Amino acid sequence: MTTLSTSPVPAAPAQTAGPGAFRAGLGNIALVLLRRREVQLVVAILGLFAVCTGLHPQFGASSNIAFILADSTTIMIVAVGQTIVVLGRGIDLSVSPMLGIAAVSIGFPASMHNLNIWLALLFVLLIGIGLGMGNGFLVSVVGIPPIIATLATLTIYGGWQFIICGGMSVINIPAVYTNFGGANVLPGVPWLIVIGAGVVALAYVFLTRTVTGRSVYAVGNNADAAFRAGVPVRRVLFTTYVISGFLAGLAGLVYLCQIGSATSTSGSDGNTNLMSIAATLIGGTTLLGGRGGPVGSALGAVFLSEAAQALISFRFNEIWDPAGVGVLILIAVVADRKGAPVRQLFRQPFRQPAKAVK
Amino acid sequence: MSAIATSPAAPRRARVQTAGRQETTWVVTVAVLLVALLAYFCLAVPDFRELGASGILALCEQFLFTGLIALGEALVIFAGEIDLSTGAMSSLSGIVMATLWQHGLNIWLAVVVALVVAALGGAINGLLVTRFGIYSLLVTLGTQFIFSSVATAVGGNTPPYNFPKSFVNFAGTGTVGPVPDQLIIFAVIAVVVWLVLARTRYGRGLVLIGYNRAASRYTGVNVQRTLFSAFVACGLLAGIAGIFVSGFYNAARDDIGDSLLLPAITTVVLGGVDIFGGRGRMSGVIIATFLLGFLFQGLLIRGNSSLTATMIGGIVLVLCLILKIALDRRAGVRLRELLQRRFGSTQEAPAVPDA
Amino acid sequence: MSAHTGQASEAGVLSADGAVAVPARARPAGLQYEGRLLTKSFDGATVLSQVSITFEPGEIHSVVGENGAGKSTLVKIMAGIYQPDSGEVLLGDDRLAGLSPRSAQHRGIYLVPQEPALMQSLSITENLFVGILRRGRLRFNVDWASMRREASAYLDRVGLDIVPEVKAEELSVAQQQLVECARALVHRCVVIYFDEPTSPLTGKEAGTLFEVMRSLRAEGYTLGFISHRLDEVLAISDRVTVLRDGAKVLSAPRSEVDRAALVRAMIGRELVTRERVRPHFDATGRKEMLAVEDLTSQPSFEGVSFNVREGEVLGLAGLVGSGRTEVAETIFGLRPTDRGTVQVEGRLLEHRSPRICIDAGLVYLPEDRGRHGIFAEVEVERNVTAGVIPRLERFGPLIKPAPERQMAKEATEKTAVRMTSLDTLMKALSGGNQQRAMLSRWLLAGPRVAIFDEPTRGVDVGAKDDIYQLVAQLAGQGLACVFISSELNELTISCDRVVAMYEGHVVAELSGAEITDASLGAIIVGAHLR
Repeated sequence: MTTLSTSPVPAAPAQTAGPGAFRAGLGNIALVLLRRREVQLVVAILGLFAVCTGLHPQFGASSNIAFILADSTTIMIVAVGQTIVVLGRGIDLSVSPMLGIAAVSIGFPASMHNLNIWLALLFVLLIGIGLGMGNGFLVSVVGIPPIIATLATLTIYGGWQFIICGGMSVINIPAVYTNFGGANVLPGVPWLIVIGAGVVALAYVFLTRTVTGRSVYAVGNNADAAFRAGVPVRRVLFTTYVISGFLAGLAGLVYLCQIGSATSTSGSDGNTNLMSIAATLIGGTTLLGGRGGPVGSALGAVFLSEAAQALISFRFNEIWDPAGVGVLILIAVVADRKGAPVRQLFRQPFRQPAKAVK
Repeated sequence: MSAIATSPAAPRRARVQTAGRQETTWVVTVAVLLVALLAYFCLAVPDFRELGASGILALCEQFLFTGLIALGEALVIFAGEIDLSTGAMSSLSGIVMATLWQHGLNIWLAVVVALVVAALGGAINGLLVTRFGIYSLLVTLGTQFIFSSVATAVGGNTPPYNFPKSFVNFAGTGTVGPVPDQLIIFAVIAVVVWLVLARTRYGRGLVLIGYNRAASRYTGVNVQRTLFSAFVACGLLAGIAGIFVSGFYNAARDDIGDSLLLPAITTVVLGGVDIFGGRGRMSGVIIATFLLGFLFQGLLIRGNSSLTATMIGGIVLVLCLILKIALDRRAGVRLRELLQRRFGSTQEAPAVPDA
Repeated sequence: MSAHTGQASEAGVLSADGAVAVPARARPAGLQYEGRLLTKSFDGATVLSQVSITFEPGEIHSVVGENGAGKSTLVKIMAGIYQPDSGEVLLGDDRLAGLSPRSAQHRGIYLVPQEPALMQSLSITENLFVGILRRGRLRFNVDWASMRREASAYLDRVGLDIVPEVKAEELSVAQQQLVECARALVHRCVVIYFDEPTSPLTGKEAGTLFEVMRSLRAEGYTLGFISHRLDEVLAISDRVTVLRDGAKVLSAPRSEVDRAALVRAMIGRELVTRERVRPHFDATGRKEMLAVEDLTSQPSFEGVSFNVREGEVLGLAGLVGSGRTEVAETIFGLRPTDRGTVQVEGRLLEHRSPRICIDAGLVYLPEDRGRHGIFAEVEVERNVTAGVIPRLERFGPLIKPAPERQMAKEATEKTAVRMTSLDTLMKALSGGNQQRAMLSRWLLAGPRVAIFDEPTRGVDVGAKDDIYQLVAQLAGQGLACVFISSELNELTISCDRVVAMYEGHVVAELSGAEITDASLGAIIVGAHLR
């Protein structure tokens, strides 16, 4: 049996000896690494940090770093959930009120009856799962396109959040919560980001090492082929929305700890759903599914938080934040050619991919 | 986007309705519901009844701007696309008009400039979708952010209010006899949009694009130009809506549009338009505007909170879609097709089976 | 076979030194796979008619025929992708009913599709195991290590020297196809079909594939090979079955057939005596309607030139992939032109787009009717008038419905479209009637030149004749026609001249008596290169 020898991908470093070759080898590796969105984001984060600190030294203070990281945690956790949904070629526009409902649902008991923080954790997760199931039901059982389904739950849950609040707001959160929200494990490293990192790590393990997680990628790549191969497509999609709800719930608790209050518009006022999508897209996950991962989204969340903080340092009016996010989304999308499907011949100026003509 | 069953059931021909009939049925149903709804509110809600004819007509002013946005969205949705930035654009146009007026420009000129800005916004969307080939969902997600931000920036902390009487009278609360100005303007615009879509060459091309984009190119439809102008029209209509809103509330706000997007899309879906494009009647959208609008207003008058009413709007949307999907299933669309339509696949199954 | 150690059936079989050996088959040896009296119609057109075929283990059984003969449909039925209208499928002694792609795979039957359908952003390992990911100790986690080992073994088995972590999208088409083949083995399939696998491959790559097939045969797999490339079929088969127009016309061991016999069976002896539909065409005094000069669009085709006169029918022959449709699409303005010109009635068409072509009198009936031709969910009336929307009678800017309807009515009557009413949805029409409706659409545009791309595809045999008559009639009235087809007999009976393409180039032009199925058949498979 003769074996077909094909050049392995990617290109291996040069084999010849000598320092020049070594440097060439390193250069090769660097180029390969830089093609990864996660690495690009790390470079961007560090680069932006360097520039900002250079111009405003106080930007580099550990308290500022801690703030940026803590601030990014809520979005980061929601973005991880969003990423999982998007990987399955879906989208979840209802994460804002899911976060909000979680926050106020435990916020009132916490402030009025001193709800134990661990019970609060349990409750938010259950609430999140329940809300996520609503989305999952509409998308995978009924068959409504995700954009419309979650647009609808966005309003329904939003209204519900308002009803729960009953005209009041959550204030006077017990110190247990806010202390945790403000505490640092190391100078510049708040506990919140540790939670965030933990979520990212778990998501990463889920997506790379569990059968269900891999199924999400399969479904996002080609739902029809996955179905034919025996993947339980509907069940997998349902799960992604439940996870998104679950994480939105967790984010609700984190939000409460960080901000110390909650209102009937918590979650929506920070544009959480669109920020989570932005972080996901910037992080390299494409809206067409099947491609990307939670690490990129987490870095995207950090980058967005850092960029917002940078704008403040430069005295840019905060109101330009959403515009900046919008531009970043568009850049990320235009630059991400790989996620774009093969353009049909009617979408000039792109041409057909080369077919073998010998 | 249409999918063809590779293995249709044998007695299919007997079950296939003409598309026209199903669409008409939906529109008629919506119309009947509207009448039934009005009857219910008149009978069951005294406060509603006491409004009288002129009062009920005046209620329209509360929701006609949503209807305008819905008209624009419908254009884009018919073509198989979507525009999520219309809410933000309506806010922006109101703010632009108000700010220009505040800086001394004649209010009517300010209106014109605001509308130009709105059309430009639509053009940006259209350009990104046609020239760059990016999905409209993504594009308008991004531009929604951008327009919203610009609106906030331009409006500042205290956006202008208290516009000239003549303006408010015309665009906001004025009436001709018992009929509100807004209603007249809306009616005119609605008829124009309806005619354009249903009876002009342009509208025909737009709908064909929604049914099958590739085939419409093969039949000579200029897909790029048609889509581009649809987005411009959508932006323009959102802009007009923003003017109306500002006139009605006698103030311009940067967030007023946010709450209009979902009701507008609900209106389109309620009107029987297929979210994937092609199928539906503009007349359905027009009637649905009133149906949803009166539903909302009636609930408010009845005493429900606005958030409850909004929630009900969301529930209506879900129910409509469930109904549509159920109807599709009954007409023999198989699960595989539904899966493909819903999720698509990177490799499409050939429609005509090759032997 | 190596000794079993611990984890056996689920994972690969571990030998003592930890290497994974791929079991030859996990099923009982020698599974015969038989199809009996299979019949299948699509939209009223019979594609397969009472075909019986048996695939034996340890044998490469080729199914050949022209495009439209039914070979792909047959195999898809055997692999569970389509359900036969009648007939049955037996695996060994078991009758398999209600087969689906999933259950077929489960029973050990796999179809390597013409275009590999791998999940592009996933690794080879994952592609091999999608749906049957090996689970680790915790039952919900993935055992990558063992999968990678197995994947390597399977890749070796098919002769692919690549690391399994590579993403599918980084492989060439040939490699992806071999991965599909490996997938069949991973799923423990003993019956493997290859559907036109060599279309996207170079000669060398095809050779590699054949080596793999031979080695599988040696191990007793049951192999089916679908193709219209006779050279390959003759090189690799043990048994050959020929389908024509949905029926089996020949089935014999390889030793008993030669190329001539195959060509004869594919094309059909009766058709040689079939009357030409058209009277002899006299070119004198006829204006040149379409002139294509040095048309090039990389990478699909290059340097294509031909012309068509008023009232002439020019055939464009060639295999799938030879570039004919791409030429038509480029002429019609759907593809970019690298160089070359197109003239209609002597007028140069610049910056061509479909609209410009239609207005200039050049129309195109696309090959893929479903995707590029019809609007399935739209009524017939609207479908028919779709090409002439700018010319519809208007009141101001508003289209007048009555004249439009009249227009559609007359047009469909002219081409004898059979339908319940003009308001019937297009998808309810049979293939033949859909094609007639398409014809009406383009005739409404009052063309001087019409390009017909596989006009009888997916059309019943009876209706095909009507279409030939229609084309002849139109030519008789002065329409210049380009007739693209892969069915040689169609070209023989319909065309005055035939241009043959092979792999992106025009290689021959035949006229009059030169046009025979034999001569065409030889040219399009590259015989001229020998």
